[in-house]
Amino acid sequence: MVQFQDVTKGYPNGVLALRRVSLRVDPGEFVFVVGPTGTGKSTLLKLLYRDESPTEGRVFVAGRDVSALPHRAIPELRRGLGVVFQDFKLLPSRTVFENIAFALRVIGAPPQEIRSRVIRALDLVGLAHRPDAMPGHLSGGEQQRISIARAIVNDPPLLLADEPTGNLDPNSSWEIMQVLSRINLRGTTVIMTTHNKMIVDILRRRVVQLAAGRVVRDQSRGLYAVDA
Amino acid sequence: MRSMRSTGFRRRTQRVLEQGTSFVADASASFRRNGLMTAAAVTTIMVALLVVGAAVLIGLNLGNIAEVVEGQVQVVAFLRDGLTSVEAEKVRTAVGAVPGVEEVEFVGRGEALQRLQQQMGEHAAFADLASTNPLPDSLEVQLTDPRSAPVVASVVARQPGVAEVTYGGEVVDRLIALTRGLRGVAALLTVFLTSVALIVVVNTIRLTVIARRQEIEIMQLVGATPWFVRWPFLIEGLFQGAAAAVAAVVVLGTVYLVGMLRLQVTMPFLPLAGPADAALPLLGSVLMGGFCVGAAGSLLAIRRFLTS
Repeated sequence: MVQFQDVTKGYPNGVLALRRVSLRVDPGEFVFVVGPTGTGKSTLLKLLYRDESPTEGRVFVAGRDVSALPHRAIPELRRGLGVVFQDFKLLPSRTVFENIAFALRVIGAPPQEIRSRVIRALDLVGLAHRPDAMPGHLSGGEQQRISIARAIVNDPPLLLADEPTGNLDPNSSWEIMQVLSRINLRGTTVIMTTHNKMIVDILRRRVVQLAAGRVVRDQSRGLYAVDA
Repeated sequence: MRSMRSTGFRRRTQRVLEQGTSFVADASASFRRNGLMTAAAVTTIMVALLVVGAAVLIGLNLGNIAEVVEGQVQVVAFLRDGLTSVEAEKVRTAVGAVPGVEEVEFVGRGEALQRLQQQMGEHAAFADLASTNPLPDSLEVQLTDPRSAPVVASVVARQPGVAEVTYGGEVVDRLIALTRGLRGVAALLTVFLTSVALIVVVNTIRLTVIARRQEIEIMQLVGATPWFVRWPFLIEGLFQGAAAAVAAVVVLGTVYLVGMLRLQVTMPFLPLAGPADAALPLLGSVLMGGFCVGAAGSLLAIRRFLTS
């Protein structure tokens, strides 16, 4: 599903976010990317949805080399994956329903399909009863679930989540993890960066640990940290 | 099969129409929201367009005048005194063979005097001249292209039997120089004012862009094409340009009509461009200018926010 081949990413200010990272994620996997702040976790995801391109090496998504993707092909790439952020990125002046429908409208989805697809996505994240609420009136956990619904409304085979529980209390974080697990069970590949030791240690999924831009550990059914 | 295809087509058309309507709705909403800035942008574009339009109108009329005067340009070759009619005929043939000459007419000195008399009106002084006519025989040369007058004149002057050559070229030269100068000044002013207008448009539309920054970010994230993101802003820019253009056309049209009527009373011989002749160039240049400034401004305003 996803492959990094010897990827190095340097920023113009001289920071090397990733150094010679090679990584392969198969379809249907659930992968935690862990490590302290500033070790290149977000950069790793940005390379996948082509917010950044690598300085060296190549990045493949669904068999396609996205490191050399021309600008006009980027929308197409992004329609094939969902992205969730720590800060939700919802439109505060639109209802829950509108926020999700927006993602379908701007890619030109047929209007007669929008309603049923939005309801289905809301159902999947357990918010089918609140389509008319404004995001500001909902809890952080609920807002994050809306943003997940928006990310998957287009049925992408790949879901990227950048610290999705970073702003949430433990209860809400568990809600989010349940939703993400459910989505993963439907066959969607999930790659999630996190700081949350508890979540990683309980779920026991594949763990990729980054330190100073390098992969220092790649372990299936891993823990957040390996004590020496 | 055919009906399926036509429903598909109808659906697509419907979708395009729906999207178009929502783009226009977005654009007009922000047109109203940023009222003051929008008014400033429209006014600035209008001032720039007034200069463009005025230059077009003045240029059109100077061109008209130059053309009329050019049409009257004629090279006149005065022949040496004492040529026999055979010799004069020879000169006429030689001049007729000069490249750029369309037709040569021989005007005898008697006829020349008569013409002069007619132009000047009956005047006592002419009675004396009849016996001692000071005018030479001359050749009136019609040109295929009035602009070649100086060249043809110099060639004709070198023909044997020709004493002197004149052509009414100075007026035309001056008119052409004036038109050229005016175009230069207008071009400079246009460039300057258009830049100012562009800056104001960019700033106005950037307000909308910033207000909708989040939407733009999400649009790009979920895979909207850059053009889908641009359209509402482009339409907003085109609105501003069009509003300014309409205002400029109304102002210029009124001023021109009134001015033309006045001028025609005081200087009826001036070959001015009528409303019908002026309308198309004026509308064309001003509308085009308005649309271009509006479109360029909005595309520049959003460029920085389109990351992909």
